[in-house]
Parts: sequence; C-alpha cells; structure tokens
Amino acid sequence: MRFGFLIKTAWHYVRRSYRSTMVLGLMVFAAVGCLVFLSALAVGTNDAMIRNSVGLFSGHIAGVSLPSGTTPERLMVDGTAGVLIRNEAVANIGQPGGTRTETVRIIGVAPLEEKKLTALWKKTLAGRYLEPGQPEIYLSRPLAQNLRVSVGDGLQIKLESWPTATLFTVSGLYQTGVSQLDYGLAFCPAQVLPESGAAVSAAIFLKEGIAAEPVIKIYQQRFDSAHFLPWRKFMPDLKQLIDLNYVSMTIVMILVFGVVSLGIACAFVIFILKSMREFGILKAIGMRSSEIVMLIVLQVIMLTLTASLAGTAAGAGAVAWLSGTGIDLSSLTSHNPYFVVSGVIFPRLTPFSACLPAVMAVFFGALAAIWPSIFVIRKSAADILRSI
Amino acid sequence: MIEAFDVCKSFRSGRGQVAALDHVSITIMKGRLFVVAGRSGSGKTTLLNCIGTLEKPETGRISCAGIDITHLSRRAAAKFRRKQTGFVFQSANLVSYLTVRENIALPLELNAWSNDARNRRVDALLDTVCLRGMGAAMPQELSGGETQRVAFARAIAHQPAILLADEPTASLDSATGRQLIQLMQALVRESACTLIAATHDPDLIAAASETLYLKDGRKVGQL
Ligand SMILES: Nc1ncnc2c1ncn2[C@@H]1O[C@H](COP(=O)(O)OP(=O)(O)OP(=O)(O)O)[C@@H](O)[C@H]1O
Ligand SMILES: [Mg+2]
Repeated sequence: MRFGFLIKTAWHYVRRSYRSTMVLGLMVFAAVGCLVFLSALAVGTNDAMIRNSVGLFSGHIAGVSLPSGTTPERLMVDGTAGVLIRNEAVANIGQPGGTRTETVRIIGVAPLEEKKLTALWKKTLAGRYLEPGQPEIYLSRPLAQNLRVSVGDGLQIKLESWPTATLFTVSGLYQTGVSQLDYGLAFCPAQVLPESGAAVSAAIFLKEGIAAEPVIKIYQQRFDSAHFLPWRKFMPDLKQLIDLNYVSMTIVMILVFGVVSLGIACAFVIFILKSMREFGILKAIGMRSSEIVMLIVLQVIMLTLTASLAGTAAGAGAVAWLSGTGIDLSSLTSHNPYFVVSGVIFPRLTPFSACLPAVMAVFFGALAAIWPSIFVIRKSAADILRSI
Repeated sequence: MIEAFDVCKSFRSGRGQVAALDHVSITIMKGRLFVVAGRSGSGKTTLLNCIGTLEKPETGRISCAGIDITHLSRRAAAKFRRKQTGFVFQSANLVSYLTVRENIALPLELNAWSNDARNRRVDALLDTVCLRGMGAAMPQELSGGETQRVAFARAIAHQPAILLADEPTASLDSATGRQLIQLMQALVRESACTLIAATHDPDLIAAASETLYLKDGRKVGQL
C-alpha cells in the first residue's frame, strides 16, 4: 500500500471539495468546541462545590485524635496549603441562671488563622467573628435561638472534664445552611478553652490538584494513633454528587455526540458517495479494495481530525478566557449548601474533558465511513461507472 | 494475444433477462487496433469490461497472453488492471479533485514509479497529447476534447499491454476525433500495445486493423 500517495490523494479531496469540507468541518468544529466547553464547565462546577464545601470549615483532610501539643508545622508537607489545629470538647452551655441548656461540641480555634483559610466567618449574620484570647463564643443562629441569646449576651460553659462553669460573651451569630455546622457546634478562641480533656483535631488544606491519599499516607507514618480522613470520606454526600456530575456529564456527552454523530455520519456518507464516480475510476485503473477503504478512512479522519482539533482549541480558548473571570451563578446557587461561599464557577480543562470530544468525533466519523466503504467495495467498477 | 471463447453475459433488469453478450468468440492479435462496432445496446461496453476484468462473464473464457483472466481473484484482477490495462471511458473519465498532472500520474503512482521517472513521464505525455502547460488545470476547466486527451494520456502512462477505449471519440467533433484517432494509431505503431475500442465512429472504424460487429450481444461479422 502506497501510504504517501493515499494521504496526498485524500488531502487533495478534502481540500478541493471546499464547500462540503467547510460545511462538514463546521459541524464537527461546533460540536467538539461546545462539548469541550461543557465538560470544562462540569469540572469547574465540581471544583466549586469541593472548594466551597472544604473551604467552609473542614479542609480537604480531617485529622482527629492528634496528640496534644501538635503544631500546624508538624502537618505541613509537600502539597499542603495550610493547616488549622483545633481543640474540641463536649460542653453544656446556657444563659447564667437560665433554664435552657444545650449540649454541644465546643471547638477552640485560632481566630486569625481560621479567617485566612476558612470561610465560616463570612457567614456571620450578626456581631462579628472571634478575636484571639477573648472569652467569646461564636455560635449558629438556630442554636442562639434555642438558648434565647443574642450578640453581647453572656453564656455559661460547663465542660464535662472541667466542673467549674466559665462565662463567655456571644461575639457573633452565623448560619451556613450546612446542618453539621448549624447544629450542635460552637466556637471559641483556643487559648480560652481549658486544655485538659480536649481532643486535638486538624483541618488540612491542600493545594489545587493535589490528591489527599498520598498526604494521608505521610501523616499516618508520623502519627500512629491519629486518624486522617479525606473529604470524600467525611462528606460522602458531596462525593456522590460529584460522581453523579461526572456520570451525567459523560452521559450527556455520549447522547449529544450520539445525536450529532448521526448527523455527521449522514453527512459523511454523502461526502463520500458524492465521489462515487472517482472511486469507480480508481477501481477501474487497478486500485485495490484495501487501498480504497484506506483512502475513505483517511479522508474522513483528516476532516474530523482537523475540525475537531480546531474545535478543541476554540473550546479551550473559551475555557481559558472564562477561567480568569469565572462565571457567576450565584443567583442559581444561593440556597445551595454546596455553594455556601461563592457561586462563581471557573471552568477547568482536564486531559479527559479536552480529549474526549475530539476522540469521539474521529471515532464516530470513522464509524460513519464503514457503510460507504462497504458499498464502494461491493459495487463493481463497471456498475459504478455505468450508473453515472 | 487476447482470446475470448464463447463468452456470455446477461443482466437482469426491468425488461427481464437481457443477453448483453451471447456466445461471443474473438481473437485479437498483439499490437492491433481492434474495433468493436454495433448499435447502442449491442454489448460493446460489456465486452470491453469483460476483457478489462471490470466484469465477469457468466460462461466462457477470456485469456490474455495465455493467462485466463476470467477466474482471477479480486486482488489479482486489480493487479492485472493496474499493470496490464489502460482505460478510456466514454465519459466522466477524470478524477474531478485531481489536476491534469495528478490524473495522468495516477497509474504511475499505483505502479510505484519513482518521483523523477513519474515527472518525466507525465511531461512527455503532456507533450504527446499537446497539453503542455495545462498540467495544473482541474478537469472541470477542460473542454471535451482536452478531457479525452488527458484520459488517453492517463490510460497509456504506465505503458499497458492492452488499451481499452469505450467510444473515445463519441463526445468530440470530427476534427478533434480524428486527432485522437491519430494519437491512437501512433501508439499502436510505436509500442506493442493492443488497442481495443468500442465505437460507432466511421473514422475510427476506418482506421481499425480489424472490426467486430455486434448486434444484441451476438457477433454478426468481423472484418
Ligand atoms: N447493469 C446492467 N443492468 C441491466 N442491464 C444492463 C446492465 N449493463 C448493461 N445492460 C444491458 O446490456 C446491454 C448491453 O449494454 P452495453 O452497455 O454493453 O451496450 P453498448 O453497446 O455499450 O451500448 P452504447 O453504445 O449505448 O454504449 C444493453 O441492452 C443494456 O441495457
Ligand atoms: Mg457503451
């Protein structure tokens, strides 16, 4: 088989069938470009949900049962963007002299560091976030309503391990819409929370694109009694939602391409059969069937490959343009707990979402070439030439 | 030498079974201009197609230089056409998306001629058919006569042993037709090529070394 000759001939056909090449190419180009952008948008949506969910409070990795005295530096490894150490204890809280009390997990935090890495403080509805060293408590609005307290009121805190009650002032109220944070939790500066009996936990934030598992492996070697969980484990709902998103994205891609490719396939059949006479001539002057099939496949692949590369580039261009500014979908996400911090989505291209549409276009294009190929091979040159 | 012995070929069509070739036997000597004449529908194209392995006879046998070509495999038939035959069809001869040059070079490409040899041969052929300078033209830019000359150049490019020409002059005026006939006569004279042409053209019949007359697929005379 003379490959150079076949490639040259296929190229002449694609190039000189100017109009049909343009129309078909435009179709493939548009389909691939749109799909690249759509899939980048889906990835960006998932990113935003993860960023929102882990950025609110938990971090990408939650460490529990850490030895007391653990410093953030001990947990900083390659790939971590920041570490927050927290003490927590179970406490009864209530108004001094009041009858209503609640049992909560009270979490001692480093207020300045928390403000840098988490977004809980942005969810303040009344008052303000904690200040270091002050005997203050920051709690959710539902909890405050149950206890009948508001900003500036005093609250007595009694730890199980620390029998004398201490008086704290309510610094601010928040509400996130995430039930784990809105019920059963209260925050105070770590310095004012008695250390005895408090459990030490950590919220570990990873840099963009770093997987949690290898980092956890390092931690487990360092701290044998502690436990570390990736966000996928402690937020199974989010993991499922993201998996679901990927599945639906893939289904949409396959469906969209199924429909589009049907159109493309029909157009390709016409594209190929339009030069039936030429195939008849080539057969008559002694081109082998295998060479003719190769010629058809090359024509189709050249067209789809060029058009889908251009489509991928256009889609990637749109993604690059919008990944700077982001797409603000706040109006669509404001009541959604997975977008508590921000509804801005930054589309992101993954190798998978960048390549899949082009691969599918070439695949379906090649598939579309099968029927006309069989047709051309089956029909004798005499029949083809006689029918024109 | 080409020998056809008792060749039959029929087609099923709307009119029922049509015998396109009905027990036709012929012998064509090497290096002759052999003309197949007859009315429209008499089976001329079918006979040429059978000799060129584009169609398979139902019964009978065709041999070329002693080799039976009626029972060749598809692949072997393609090879036979590529190496041994050249075709000039009645119309629609050229590959529309290739230039004149590329069209003439097609059989040379298929026969794996080197770049150099190919270019030289195409240049020489363009001279032969008086189309020097037209190499870059597209087929749709050519007149009918020019198209047939390019087709002729392509058919003889790889120096085939057999040239099959199906009404090569039918779409040409008589002056242009005579020009093409002269080219064909020169070819037969100068190479050992056997030229088999189907035609109604009296000029071409007059130029033939031998003429077979067909009627309704039957041989009705040979001169
Ligand atoms: N594929 C086909 N299906 C049905 N009938 C066919 C087919 N090919 C040829 N025929 C019939 O066979 C007969 C011989 O056809 P052929 O083309 O060989 O004639 P011809 O002598 O070349 O005619 P013309 O001078 O018009 O080209 C005709 O009657 C034609 O209708
Ligand atoms: Mg005919």
